[in-house]
Amino acid sequence: MKKAREKELGELAERLIAFARKCGADEVEVTVSDDREFSLDVRLGKIENLVEASSRALALKVIKDKKTAFAASSDLNKETLKRLIKNAVARAELANEDECAGLPLVFSDNTNAAGLDLFDPEIRELEPDKKICLALETERIALKDKRITNSHGASLVTNEILTVLANSRGFAGSYEQTFCSLSVGLQAGETDNKAEDYWFSTERFFKKLEPPESVARRAVERTVRLLNPRKIKTQAVPVIFEPQMTAWLLGFLFACISGIAVYQKATFLAGRLGTRIGNKRATVIDNGLMPGRLGSRPFDTEGVACQKTTVLDRGILRHHLCNTYAGRKLDHPSTGNADGAGVSPNNFYLVPGDLSPQEIIASTERGFILTRTIGHGLNPATGDISRGAFGLWVEKGEVVYPVAEVTVSGNLENILRNIEAVGNDLDFRTAVCGPTIKVAELVVAGE
Amino acid sequence: MIAFDDHFKLATTDLKKILEAALSRGGDFAEIYGEYRHFSFINMEEDIIKETAEAISLGLGVRVVSGDKTGYGYTNDLSLDKIRRAVLTAAAIASGTGAKSLPRFQRVRVKGDPYPVKEPFHKTNLSQKIDLVKKAYLACQKSSLKIKKVKVGLQDHIRQVFIVNSAGIMARDIRPQVRLICAAIAEKGKRREIGFSGGGGRVGLEYFRDVLTAERIGKEAAQDALTLLEAVEAPAGEMPVVLAPGHSGVLVHEAVGHLLEADFNRKKTSIFWNKLGKKVGSELISITDDPTIPSFRGSYAVDDEGTVPRKTLLIEKGRVVSFLQDRLSARLMGMPLTGHGRRQDYTCIPIPRMSNTYIEKGQDDPGDIIRSVSKGIYAEKFEGGQVEDSGKFTFSISSGHLIEAGRMTAPIKQATLIGTNIDILRKIVMVGSDLSFGLQTGTCSKEGQEVPVTDGCPTIKISRMTVGGKS
Repeated sequence: MKKAREKELGELAERLIAFARKCGADEVEVTVSDDREFSLDVRLGKIENLVEASSRALALKVIKDKKTAFAASSDLNKETLKRLIKNAVARAELANEDECAGLPLVFSDNTNAAGLDLFDPEIRELEPDKKICLALETERIALKDKRITNSHGASLVTNEILTVLANSRGFAGSYEQTFCSLSVGLQAGETDNKAEDYWFSTERFFKKLEPPESVARRAVERTVRLLNPRKIKTQAVPVIFEPQMTAWLLGFLFACISGIAVYQKATFLAGRLGTRIGNKRATVIDNGLMPGRLGSRPFDTEGVACQKTTVLDRGILRHHLCNTYAGRKLDHPSTGNADGAGVSPNNFYLVPGDLSPQEIIASTERGFILTRTIGHGLNPATGDISRGAFGLWVEKGEVVYPVAEVTVSGNLENILRNIEAVGNDLDFRTAVCGPTIKVAELVVAGE
Repeated sequence: MIAFDDHFKLATTDLKKILEAALSRGGDFAEIYGEYRHFSFINMEEDIIKETAEAISLGLGVRVVSGDKTGYGYTNDLSLDKIRRAVLTAAAIASGTGAKSLPRFQRVRVKGDPYPVKEPFHKTNLSQKIDLVKKAYLACQKSSLKIKKVKVGLQDHIRQVFIVNSAGIMARDIRPQVRLICAAIAEKGKRREIGFSGGGGRVGLEYFRDVLTAERIGKEAAQDALTLLEAVEAPAGEMPVVLAPGHSGVLVHEAVGHLLEADFNRKKTSIFWNKLGKKVGSELISITDDPTIPSFRGSYAVDDEGTVPRKTLLIEKGRVVSFLQDRLSARLMGMPLTGHGRRQDYTCIPIPRMSNTYIEKGQDDPGDIIRSVSKGIYAEKFEGGQVEDSGKFTFSISSGHLIEAGRMTAPIKQATLIGTNIDILRKIVMVGSDLSFGLQTGTCSKEGQEVPVTDGCPTIKISRMTVGGKS
């Protein structure tokens, strides 16, 4: 079944490449995906939404005389696709010549994701009732806690994605991958003084999903610990980032070291390769080849092999993360981070240290544990950060009360240069991730 | 036959059969949503037209509602076999048997035209669009030698939707959408700042001649970046905040609008669920959502459930008077439809959403509002914001000014405003007479679904608010 679909879509890609070449394209790249989605929301013990579907999509890139045009369609009708290709070749002629345009020259040898453990055959076979029970059970356990006063519901989502990529330089690869996630969102407290939070587990393999008890328990803990928050005076204090917050900071770091942002000079880290942007505790890696991890893939959307790239080596910026185009602009090889017309992280993480989060908290005389941020407030051009924040106040090494209605502000480089401690709790819960860290000082604005 | 015969070869009898099959397990309501979207994009940077793109999205979704449960299936393969599979998925949400007889379909008629377009973008040829992009690019680049990098993107699409449901509604809408965005990077010494501007809406090519030219968009982006080069750190702490007219509408969108969407109130997660008819804020403030404003980015002739939308007063002189409804919440809450059931595309279930949301104008002179502040900030441009159901929200200022002794002084950069919505609504102490709307480029995200919106407000003074700056 799997083989038949791969073969069918692979042949479609090859036919389109041949057609585009006939229409005058110098180079062509075709991506076809086939996605099966199952998404379930339950709330207050009942099913709320159930969505199930399969869909296909196709994207293509043509290059003619070093000029590029893109096209995409969810309509795989032969005539539609032919028209899109003709249009793309005609449009390419209206664009300008660009020396750096064009397909990569070297491709991945791993054309089927061998050894990466991306696909769980069990997901296809799961009975809907089993998934429904799991979501209901998660919410039921959470609601048993009397402090929880309302529910945003629990969700169970699974995806099965087949990706087929072929180009006119002879690359042809395809791989299947799966994702599943279980989550629950909760509220505690009365209408006018509510606290809310959620928790989740996302995995490629169904049997690795955290059980309902642990997702529910964590969601409850996270929600109730924010009840009855205090406001604090504006001050500069040490800030402890929980793993999800380190992940958020790394997401911003990615935006600032992405080869595209760098060649466009849209980031303060343009021109900083080889220089110090963090202290010795800041080592950041992008690795697309970690078996079973959420951000792994054999090759990127251009067919370039994914790899392990040390982005920050004990504070020194060593690499930008590039697709072929940004790589050519920066005279830097592609790092296997192409994603459509842009770049995206694979498994992008801060290397953990050896302190437990409890030890980090215990070592803090006075400080703020950042547990969640909301809003925007990230400026890649300057590295400035300013966000609404929720957290916990620490006195003499212990959490004393929750804090709300504050903002944290600082600068990414200053934060990386002032990491005082790195935790040992990296869990790859998301593709971009990190352990608990403690930063010497940030402005927490309150009253 | 209905709607776009080229794309959906479905006769009225087919539609009937689909709906009957959808209700075969005993659902209360069934609906077919079909969508064809044709999108085009041009990107200019480094002085060249770097790439162009064209995208087609075609698909059909079937929804079945049984009590408060929703089943949904969709497909982009429009063979009857695949449609049938989507129908069976959706139908399975109900667990019984039932053969409902369907009423005769009634075509929904819309008064007025929310898209009075003269020269439709989807019929404009590519070289004309490229001209527009180049005009914005050059105007931006030529503004100053300090402008080191310019990027201009032009996106336009035409989205055709049809909705047929078991209540007998048959509706269609053909919605144009255009957005021209310019980003400029300015440098001075080691300092680097990004400025933005943009325009568009449900408009035609004539908009960029008669309403807002590409050159002006380019110049505004440059000016935005140049101003930031001179900006000082924003202060931190509690202080009076004056919101500039237009862009500040994001505050009403985030802090108030979302929590007046009916689903959050039906589920009692919103802080407003028990406050209908109650006073929650200053008498100076009234808030409206209006999907019928011609040419606006958030407007539509019918919503994504086939309901003709109406201008909806949400807060009247500080009192909550209604919620934004979709069919499901309106039925479960026993309230009238307002026409705010929207969806990102055919893969999504419709949910209550805002369209064009604004604070009604007040009586105060904008100059008097600024003069009334001895020390505070004037918030001008925003990156966006976010709200929690509990009413806690933030929004991010990307530029503004300090106010000192009743006068605007130094420009400030990035800062975050944070608060709880009811607290802020009570602290609105002056409302200007100068209502305007922000850029016609906004997108709102909820439950992973993005829809185009606009928001607006007059100059407003909030007596105290927490500002998160660095100094």
